[in-house]
Amino acid sequence: MNLSIKIKDLVLKNPVTVASGTAGYGEELSHFIDLSKLGAIFTKGLTLQPRPGNRGNRIIETPAGVLNSIGLENVGLERFLSEKLPFLKQAGATVIPNVAGHSVEENVELCRTLSSLSEIGAVELNVSCPNVKEGGIIFGTDIGLFTNLVEKARTVTRCALIVKLSPNVTDVGQFAARAEAIGADAVSAVNTFLGMKIDIRRKKPYFGNTVAGLSGPAIRPLAVRIVYQIYEAVSIPVIGLGGIASFDDMLEFIMAGATAISVGTMNMVDPGISIMLIEKFGIYMESEKIGNMHEIIGIAHSPGGLSEECP
Amino acid sequence: MPTLIEKPKQVAYGHFLLRIESGTEHSAPGQFINIRTSRQNDPLLRRPFSIFNHERTVMSIVVKSVGRGSEILSQHPPGAIDAIGPLGTGFTLAANRRVLIAGGGVGNAPLFYLIKTLAGLHCDITYLYGVRAKELVYLPEQYKRHSNRFIITTDDGSEGTRGYATDVASELAAGGGYDMIYTCGPLPMMRAMVEAAKSTPVEVSLENYFGCGIGICSGCSIETADGLKRACVSGPVFNGSRINWDSMQDIY
Repeated sequence: MNLSIKIKDLVLKNPVTVASGTAGYGEELSHFIDLSKLGAIFTKGLTLQPRPGNRGNRIIETPAGVLNSIGLENVGLERFLSEKLPFLKQAGATVIPNVAGHSVEENVELCRTLSSLSEIGAVELNVSCPNVKEGGIIFGTDIGLFTNLVEKARTVTRCALIVKLSPNVTDVGQFAARAEAIGADAVSAVNTFLGMKIDIRRKKPYFGNTVAGLSGPAIRPLAVRIVYQIYEAVSIPVIGLGGIASFDDMLEFIMAGATAISVGTMNMVDPGISIMLIEKFGIYMESEKIGNMHEIIGIAHSPGGLSEECP
Repeated sequence: MPTLIEKPKQVAYGHFLLRIESGTEHSAPGQFINIRTSRQNDPLLRRPFSIFNHERTVMSIVVKSVGRGSEILSQHPPGAIDAIGPLGTGFTLAANRRVLIAGGGVGNAPLFYLIKTLAGLHCDITYLYGVRAKELVYLPEQYKRHSNRFIITTDDGSEGTRGYATDVASELAAGGGYDMIYTCGPLPMMRAMVEAAKSTPVEVSLENYFGCGIGICSGCSIETADGLKRACVSGPVFNGSRINWDSMQDIY
């Protein structure tokens, strides 16, 4: 059965991907799954230079979720190209690097270099990093900074450009629409929600960075709602993610408007889950006699659009 | 899938022994298994447990009931159990050595598998078993059987020598004559052992907070003289003198 989807010219063999930051560079996950079976692997957020990440506590469980403050620990562009990318290509994986620069220039440089490689069919721009040159404001939470970054990145990116949206804004749909207007080929929604944990014993924040990103099943209803809103606002593909832990969860995202989905936090709990989702998706398509996935993408939307009533 | 052979057996106050048919005969002392406690995703993350013993295909672990995950495990019904492993690195094993071993609380668990193995390699084993109080001592007879000298220390003196295992261990270590020191327990204890050891090599088994336990999240990274290392895949066993202990202060 053909489960493939397209993002601009990039064909994903199925709509199941693994999310950036929850799959490393594939090496560890390859002990559990065949990476070539995935729609794509979004690799760990990449910067030009290697980053050690944050000191102190980096992760803690919350009710049905996880707070993390890893601090974008990564090997840097050079080692990514010399070690990580060759491994992933050897494994037969479709690789989508996640670009996480801390200035417009850094993101531009990363997009330019990565998108010039024949092995790379798409890059994902992570707009949830602080812009260190503009007082540390997060690119993805200020429409002006966001617009400037996506425009510059679009200009230099020769392959498909996916923008990974921050949920920490009032109207994610506005940011999605702006990305589409600038020429992004898809959006990923959503990145982690800002959260916090107080260490009551030490009477201070648990994380050195004070705040941290919340992910996992705890955020799923929030993420489904945002994907639904984005689907109303744009016509480019949406890659839906946020706490997907079962095939039913994956279907929710597709029916809300996602063309593809990413498994994030659940890779940490059940490293084989993505392959299970691909198998179940094939069975579902067959048993429901769905010839083309597009028959169910966004099917939950009513002709009248979003309700204007109070919940 | 691994199977819990019988219902968890209480071996000390709040401590339970779980015997698991693992399907494998291969593991090394110091390695751990990672157990999912709920199918409902709450608690969400797996919980790591050092292997306490491994005989043929039966692995056992000691679970200290401290939170929701460990409480669920301490009441786990016999039957399928979602465990991944063995994972991580093991202790260095060598024959005919004089070794000093100090365990603190539930941190004694991996050290049982270690001394059983070292005893088989004809090592001379001095074991210091530290706990807060008498009711927390689990399976002392088993430890005693595989040690040449076995000393229990309790903080309150309710059993054995009063004080910290590290106080006694530091004294012994300072006297020299050991080829190797192994320790697992609270961070201050392991740090004290490393400092007391001077030139004797010390291996520690870290028990810091793991996210995935398989090396993908980098949530458990620690600072070492060789750079950042993920405790779950580069450890949990480390050469104690390579760890930046100051950086561990704020890590659980």
